[in-house]
Amino acid sequence: MYVAFSVAVYGMKAQKNEGSLIIKIHPVFNGKALKLTTEPYVNAHQDSLFIDVFKCYLSALKLSPGNGVEFKETKSYHLINADDSISLVFVIKNIPEGNFKTLSFNIGVDSISSVSGALDGDLDPSKGMYWAWNTGYIDAKLMGRSKQCKTRQNSFEYHIGGYSGPNKTLQKVRLDLNIINIEPNKTTHLELKAELAEWFNNPYLLDLSVTNAVLIPGKEALRMAENYADMFQVLKITSPKK
Amino acid sequence: MKHRIWIFLIGIFCLFTWLAFRCIKEEPVKFLIPKGWPKPHYDFSKNKLTAAGFSLGRKLFYDPVLSNDSSISCASCHLQATGFAHVDHDLSHGIEGKIGTRNAPGIVNPAWNKFFMWDGGVNHLEVQALAPITNPIEMNESLNHIVIKLSTQLSYRKAFKRAFGDSIISGQRVLLGISQFLVMLNSSNSKYDKYIRHEKDGKFSVQELNGLKIFRKHCGSCHTEPLFTNNDFANNGLKVDTSLKDYGRYSITHNANDSLKFKVPSLRNIEFTYPYMHDGRFKKLSEVLNHYNSGIKSSKTLANELQKPMQLTAEQKTDLLVFLLTLSDKSFLFDQRFSYPREKS
Repeated sequence: MYVAFSVAVYGMKAQKNEGSLIIKIHPVFNGKALKLTTEPYVNAHQDSLFIDVFKCYLSALKLSPGNGVEFKETKSYHLINADDSISLVFVIKNIPEGNFKTLSFNIGVDSISSVSGALDGDLDPSKGMYWAWNTGYIDAKLMGRSKQCKTRQNSFEYHIGGYSGPNKTLQKVRLDLNIINIEPNKTTHLELKAELAEWFNNPYLLDLSVTNAVLIPGKEALRMAENYADMFQVLKITSPKK
Repeated sequence: MKHRIWIFLIGIFCLFTWLAFRCIKEEPVKFLIPKGWPKPHYDFSKNKLTAAGFSLGRKLFYDPVLSNDSSISCASCHLQATGFAHVDHDLSHGIEGKIGTRNAPGIVNPAWNKFFMWDGGVNHLEVQALAPITNPIEMNESLNHIVIKLSTQLSYRKAFKRAFGDSIISGQRVLLGISQFLVMLNSSNSKYDKYIRHEKDGKFSVQELNGLKIFRKHCGSCHTEPLFTNNDFANNGLKVDTSLKDYGRYSITHNANDSLKFKVPSLRNIEFTYPYMHDGRFKKLSEVLNHYNSGIKSSKTLANELQKPMQLTAEQKTDLLVFLLTLSDKSFLFDQRFSYPREKS
């Protein structure tokens, strides 16, 4: 009884000192807000292209203070989809109050989830980010069209993933937040951009006439993943109003 | 007043009878590990077996709604009476009569499997069904669309509610339901099993005993008892089919050491699961034995065990074949729980 009571009190107390963070992702191409299907863009190789699909997993979100205890989101999997504005905004709750300096997360899904059968939520295989013939999650998808692609309907398709051995495409991201403030019972806003031009350059310059279908784990997928590893950047931090 | 009490009591009685019948209908589903068998690979703790889950899985297994044009169900290529194999089809056909590249294997004791499909491309039982569902020449459907289709059917909303506590249908739940049915497809009641258990129907003839001896010497290292598979991949010396150009496990791992290796299938109910091999090239068991005896094609990745020819006499081959027939399990092939669900649910 006493234990239950103290747990309840502790729970209430803990809740009081927690705040939340809303993360909003802005997909862009060369800094301009992404418009699917209709807007032409030019990549580093000077190929003109259209984007039809952009989806990717963000997982294992973590906030770190300079020194002190890190905050790790539990069950941390967020599927973002440029075509679904709801998916581009998500809340991280129950963050202990304090100042945090860095946000880290992975682009993609960890290997344990890729060998754990049918999972739920954003990891539900019905989300279309799962390979059936060679099981495992697709970390990120980018699809579109370019005149440079001598393919059916000039399409290019990148389904990037691979969880085992040398084919691991999971990318670690660490963003410097300077200082972000989490206050009890208040919400801090963090806006990130996802720069899709990164897929085509740095360190590997992509030529769409050559690389237009990467659909299986392997060397090419690894290169693409290395390219997009730095697509996320901090745009804006809004602390709760005093 | 007295009447009222009687009506009340009768009402209570009816309610209990109804509940009792409901319980009988929904008797718990039990997964039993046969004596002396290893532990299954499947983790049951994350998908607790229930009568409702099993019956949902059974309904899904037999429902062509899983295919794009509602023409093909799992059972189209996996028939119970033939060990859940696609009898008499070398290569299985899917939607619009399109022909695949491999023979649909039987389903037996899948809870013990580590990998699925001939190339082992699927790493977990729960996601196996996704492979045929999404293959454009098999069922050509997406899990997402299946969820949408099932959500419009009252009988499925009810079945999901019984299985999961609410009527929400998700991709995960569809797969977990199918898995509940699959893990129950266990065969451990063949004459061979009875022989091992020293049961009275399990007396082996001299021929069967001799066949078992030959089996243990020449076949048992890959087709390991009691599952009759070691759950591994092997190159069993088949000539490459020049039209299919199927290199098996290599297509998944891209490792040259895996070239021409295919999953070692279980031999349980082999009498009924013809034709044999990943491309169904052998119609009869005698052809299979002839292949292993004198038809092995040598290549870099050929299994060590097959390097030397078996050199069995005609008599030994017959004995081996007679032994293989003891792996048939009629109680599995005709188990009512696994057949097409006729009762209304």
